[in-house]
Formats: sequence, C-alpha cells, structure tokens
Amino acid sequence: MFENLKAFFRGFFSAFKARSTEYLEFEERELENVFALVLMGSFVGIPSPPTTLVMRLMPHMVREIYVMQRRAGEMDDIFGEIAAMFEIT
Amino acid sequence: MREYLTPKEGFRVLFFIGKGGVGKTTGSAAVSVTLSKKGYKTLIVSIDPAHNLGDVFEVKLNDKPKQIAENLYAMELDMEKLIKAYLKHLEENLKHMYRYLTVINLEKYFEVLRFSPGIEEYATLEAIREILQRGEEWDIIIFDTPPTGLTLRVLALPEIALIWTKKLIEIRKKILEKRRAIENIQGERKFVIEGEEYKLPSREEEDPVMKELKRYKAEIAFVRGVITNSKKTSVIAVMNPEMLALYETERAYEALRKFKIPFNLVVVNKVIELEEEVPRIRVKIEAQRKVLEEIGEKFKGVELVTVPMFEEEPRGLEWLEKVGGLIVGD
Repeated sequence: MFENLKAFFRGFFSAFKARSTEYLEFEERELENVFALVLMGSFVGIPSPPTTLVMRLMPHMVREIYVMQRRAGEMDDIFGEIAAMFEIT
Repeated sequence: MREYLTPKEGFRVLFFIGKGGVGKTTGSAAVSVTLSKKGYKTLIVSIDPAHNLGDVFEVKLNDKPKQIAENLYAMELDMEKLIKAYLKHLEENLKHMYRYLTVINLEKYFEVLRFSPGIEEYATLEAIREILQRGEEWDIIIFDTPPTGLTLRVLALPEIALIWTKKLIEIRKKILEKRRAIENIQGERKFVIEGEEYKLPSREEEDPVMKELKRYKAEIAFVRGVITNSKKTSVIAVMNPEMLALYETERAYEALRKFKIPFNLVVVNKVIELEEEVPRIRVKIEAQRKVLEEIGEKFKGVELVTVPMFEEEPRGLEWLEKVGGLIVGD
C-alpha cells in the first residue's frame, strides 16, 4: 500500500517535471535550430559567418544539426506543435 | 630612415598594397633587400595567388621560408594547397564525429562548403595569422599582397569575423542558459542518436562549441590587435602616376582608415623623368605632373616617395637594393 503510494507520487512528480520544462525545451530547440541555421546560411542564400569558423564548429554540432533537420521536417505543422503545447485541441 | 618601416615593439609588419601591375612585388622585394642589408632579419611573403615574387628574386620559392641572402628569407603561400589541407583535416575530424549521423548525409554539405564564397580570403587570413603568431622569429615581415580589392577584403575580415563571433557567442550563451534551467529540474540530460548517447553540455567550460568560438575569437582578436597597432604594422600603397591608380589608392586609404589600419606611405612608381623635353609624350608628362600634385593634397599625414622609371626592369639583388634605398630613405 505504502509502496504503491510512493510509486504514484514519483509518477505524479515526473509528469509534473516534464510538463514544467516543456516550454523551456521548446525554446531550447528553437535556439538550437537558429544556431544551426545561421551557420548553414550559405546553403539558403543568407550571409554566413566566417567559413573557417563554421568548419571548426561543425564537428561539435551533431545535436543542433539533428534538431534543425527535424525542425525542417515538421515545418508544415509548427502550429500543431504550439497548439499541443497550449492544449488546444 | 623611415621609422614606421623598422621594428619598434617586437616585430614590424609591412603590407604592400596597390592596383595590379604597379610594382608591389618589386617594391616590397626592394624594401626587403634594403632592410635585410641593414641587419634586420626579414621575411617576405607573397600572398598573391598569382605569384611572381620568385621571378623578381630570380629564384624558385615555395611555402617554406627560403634564404635568399644574409638575413633575407622569402616564401610564396600556396592557397590551393592550404585550402586542400584544411579541408582534409576537417573531413577526418568529421568522419570521426559523425559516423553515426550518416542518415543526414552530411558529405553533401561539405562538398558545397569547399566552394563557399570567401573561402580564399579566409584561408589567406588564416595563413597571415599563422605567420604573425610566429612573428617573434623575425624582425620584419613583409607581405606582398594581391591587387587592392582582395587585400582590402582580407584586412577587413578580422573586424567582420569578430562581429559574427560575438553574435554567435550570444546565441550560444542563451542555449546553454536554457539547458542549465532544464537540467536544474530534470537532472543531467542525455542526447540519444542512432543508438549512441552522450551528455548534453550545459556549462560554458564543457561545451565544445563555446570553447571553439572563444578560441576563434582570441585568434582573430590577436590578428586585429597586430594590424591595427601603428607600432607594429604599416601599410604602404604603391601606385603609378595615373588618375585611375590615384582613385583606387584613395579608396584604399578611406577603407583602411575605417578599419583603423595604419597607412603611412605612398610610393609613386614608374615616374618618367626626362632631362630634355620630348614633344611626343608631352601630354603624358603633363598628366603625370597633375597626379603628383593631387596626391600631395589628397593624402594628409601620409609620406610620399617617387621612384623613377628605369631604363631596364629592376630585377636581381643589386637593382632591388637601389630601389629599396629610395623607399626606405637613407
């Protein structure tokens, strides 16, 4: 009985934690996306930072490029994501 | 002797700029010979992709300093090789990092980067930085540059690169801030991709991107510090007594002032000096006189040296020393 209650509260709090950082994580992803996009600017025709700098940063950009790629894929449903975040159904 | 051509604080850097074909290479070679004869350990570097420094010295040069005479060393940068070596190093680095990211097909991205606009200018800047960082090995470093347009772009780069780096550091700081905030609630976060997982860096000291940004910023700030320091750097413009060359030099003068790069001397090369009047080139002589007059008015605070047109092309060490003597001023 006591164990069950503990498990319930653990579940309750982790869900609470996940909810509380939802917006932050969204913002984080947006920033990471922008960061990767700025570095990749020359591909879409916007001015890009020094090429040497871009090349030096690339090896460390696994996560950001991954986020950018996913973001580009979900581009057509960006309102969907925002709507889900605000629980508009 | 002109003091802005000799070392004051550590080593001295001289850039020779000017329109194509006005005699930058000859001028810079001449100055290098003269200064080395005075006992300064001098390195002359050609950063012009169309090299002809070797032709002036009548020796074959490569991308390592080669001794020409006592105290005098010369080299020609090989841009093609530099860019290739740079990309190769990068590719290896990437293969290691992205081996689990083949889904994204990154090779294509880097194919394009190779032809990215401005890569030559950046490679040139990178090469200049490397030479300047080992600058203490020399008393005087002379750069023989490509025609004005490209050179001005290269000299402007540190300023532009610094602005970019500062902006990127700002965004990066925000990202790390967000990551730290999330970490405070959820604890350490892992990023999983293709079965591999690693920790998401959230502090500035452990984030490789931030570290790289800061390292780059420091390197660029160093170059900018050297080329804007009037105790270390002088720019010498070479021109012919013609209107077009004058206009270009004027623009260079304005641009360099904007970037706070010290501009000290204008060398007017190939000035025709005749003992008796020759009616057939009277118009040309008249035009030349006019240009020389205007130079005096246009460049305030900049010294002016005229080098006459010689009967034969000044090549070989003896000739060079004679011309160099005129520019260095004895």
